[in-house]
Amino acid sequence: MWIEIAHFSTIIALLLALLQVAAPLVGVGLQRPVWIRVGRQAAFVIAALLTLATVGLTLSFLHHDFSVKYVAEHASRSLPIFYLVTALWGGHEGSLLFWAWLLALFTAIAVWWHWSTHGRTIPWILAILGVVNSGFLVLVLFLSSPFERLLQPPFDGRDLNPLLQDPGMVFHPPFLYMGYVGFAIPFAFAMAALINGRISDEWILATRRWTLFSWAMLSTGIIFGAYWAYYELGWGGYWAWDPVENASFMPWLIGTAFLHSVMVQERRRMFKIWNLFLIITTFALSLLGTFLVRSGVLSSVHAFASDPGRGVYILMFMAVVLIFSFGLLVFRSDRLRTEVRLESPFSMEAAFLFNNLFLVIAGVTVLLGTLYPLAVETLGNSKVTVGAPYYNKVFIPIMLGTLLLMGVGPLLAWRGADGARLFERLKKPLAAGLAGLVACIFLGVNHPYGVATVGLLLFVIFSHLTDVWGGVARRRTNTGESLPAAVFGLLIRNKRRYGGFMVHFGVLMMAAGFVGSGLFQEEKNLILAQGDSVVIGRWRLTFEKLIEVKGSNWNAQEGIIQVDGPGVKMTMHPQKRVYENHAMPTTEAAIFSGLREDLYIVLGDAVTENTWAFRIYRNPLVSWIWSGSMVMAMGVFFALMQGRRLGKKTV
Amino acid sequence: MPTNRRSFLILTLVVVCGALGTLVWTSFTGSLVYFRTPTEIQEQAATTKSGQKIRIGGMVQEGSLVKEPGTLKIRFIVTDGKSQLPVRYDGMTPDLFREGQGVIVEGPWQPNQDFVATSILAKHSEDYIPVEMTQEGIARSKESMLRTLK
Repeated sequence: MWIEIAHFSTIIALLLALLQVAAPLVGVGLQRPVWIRVGRQAAFVIAALLTLATVGLTLSFLHHDFSVKYVAEHASRSLPIFYLVTALWGGHEGSLLFWAWLLALFTAIAVWWHWSTHGRTIPWILAILGVVNSGFLVLVLFLSSPFERLLQPPFDGRDLNPLLQDPGMVFHPPFLYMGYVGFAIPFAFAMAALINGRISDEWILATRRWTLFSWAMLSTGIIFGAYWAYYELGWGGYWAWDPVENASFMPWLIGTAFLHSVMVQERRRMFKIWNLFLIITTFALSLLGTFLVRSGVLSSVHAFASDPGRGVYILMFMAVVLIFSFGLLVFRSDRLRTEVRLESPFSMEAAFLFNNLFLVIAGVTVLLGTLYPLAVETLGNSKVTVGAPYYNKVFIPIMLGTLLLMGVGPLLAWRGADGARLFERLKKPLAAGLAGLVACIFLGVNHPYGVATVGLLLFVIFSHLTDVWGGVARRRTNTGESLPAAVFGLLIRNKRRYGGFMVHFGVLMMAAGFVGSGLFQEEKNLILAQGDSVVIGRWRLTFEKLIEVKGSNWNAQEGIIQVDGPGVKMTMHPQKRVYENHAMPTTEAAIFSGLREDLYIVLGDAVTENTWAFRIYRNPLVSWIWSGSMVMAMGVFFALMQGRRLGKKTV
Repeated sequence: MPTNRRSFLILTLVVVCGALGTLVWTSFTGSLVYFRTPTEIQEQAATTKSGQKIRIGGMVQEGSLVKEPGTLKIRFIVTDGKSQLPVRYDGMTPDLFREGQGVIVEGPWQPNQDFVATSILAKHSEDYIPVEMTQEGIARSKESMLRTLK
């Protein structure tokens, strides 16, 4: 019964979404505010209805209602209750409903929040978000429905894919989607500004928090995905440059570029067209990300072509969004000319320009590697893949370049610093960076990228610290505060700037982790009999025995391994699990996470009667990636606490 | 002076763009790995350069998997229903790797000898098979897998 309620409320929501598009437009056309109010109420009701729909589908899962096709395909009686709830986004159909629901919620919040402050843009925002949501609801209702019933309900469902029965995978999609959907709000503001021709900086100021929030969610979502891959897939890595991963990484790259370049528009009124271009691209890539993953096109163009309804609709939807938004941008471009010119190559603006250049090229790199194989397959008859080596070759230099800019950034001034002063400020960070380089070479790090990374990391840390220290010193001479009070006061006064610094520190930690694990990973394939010992790096491993274990819906073979490391003695338990309802085994790696390196043990098959295959990795600095991402998220939330900045302009 | 600085900026921009563009392009063209079925690779054996990295996809033929006792070395045959390709591999196989399942092997192409895989990717069909599924269902699932491999 619940599924019919869910289905019915989604149908009403679609009708109301159309009203949400039409009513505000009528209101603007006839100068009748009451119609705009109708649009607003529609947005609120849609949010409520789609909440009901989501709850309805979730209840169908909880009631084990296997007459619902989607439930039968993604759950079973033995599935734990936690995964029953989260199976909602375990497949295409449910994820699309979830997407639409989030968009409805965000629309309602945006309208409620900006209603009185942005009265003139609200009608357009309602209409644009209404169009996007109608697009999604049509997809949910007609082409990819989670509400379909089965005429002969099976006794038990097909169960959720065991690989998805993991906390990392549970949180990955919702965060990712919050990021994707969140970018719809700045996109809508940008479009509204283009349509009503009031293209000042208003849309950027109004959406600063939305952008930061979406960016943080997207980053967290991507990290959850990497974490899941690391803990669940058992191949010792966390990022495979798989098209599914790339799909979420592209909007992140362009979104990051946008996040930086809006500051230039705020302070110097430059980059106006560029910022609009970036936000449109970010949102378009968010849509592309959803669709690439959720349309089946990635598994194979041929499989996709055999069920073209959904795919053709998706392509048309994207085409409409792209043509409309870029068309509008071109149409209005004459109003976006700016008289302000970039004057100096050693200015903040120029640093941001290069930052954008690097990030956009990174985005193009990923786009090329992701879409080229699809294009080849569609146009020709051959199939081609672009492997990880391509991305690694391109990304390490780009990352190092970005780090260099990150270090130079805080030392530069808007409009350009004069040479002597810049050199004065550069001295300490530069010395720290060089010291790092020398130390590395002494310590025997022989990989040039490794050495360069350490040097750059120190350079960036010291450039940021020099900046904070300068601020603290000025504050102390002005106010006579104590040192802790001055530090605290400085950070609190400009949460946005120093939140950004915190994000940078998080990125540095992550960069250390990427380079450490990427360049210095050690892998060993071994065959061990019970009682065998082996020394790997700083670790001594003893394979004690193999036992059988039973979980709530799985059975496993578990290796018991005694590990002796520097200062630690422990037992690790790599498993090979077989889930009920599934013939295929899955690997549960045993992982010890340390500050210096992770020890990562994978249990393989039996080789002879009492010897087993093992794959063991030493992954240096991986835990820095996870902790760095937390620092990054904290930085964003610190920056979010700052309200609208009072206009300090350097025109 | 300002025009001088400006031209310096534009010059830097062009140089950086050019360098990055070259980097992307050369890495890209050097990293393309073509995917072939056993039939295709046998047809194109003459034109495929020796040592070129390729991927070959198909099913692991039933009954063809041989393990060398006491080591991780295996031999098996990849088939697409028409042609067969013998493959050798040394290492742990993915969870989903088994006879009758889809597989993609990657490695350098050497004409007239067994294909030595450097990595194995196992693939299972999108409509994956629960334990007690009917023969008909298994057949359909295999068919859909072969289609996606193509």
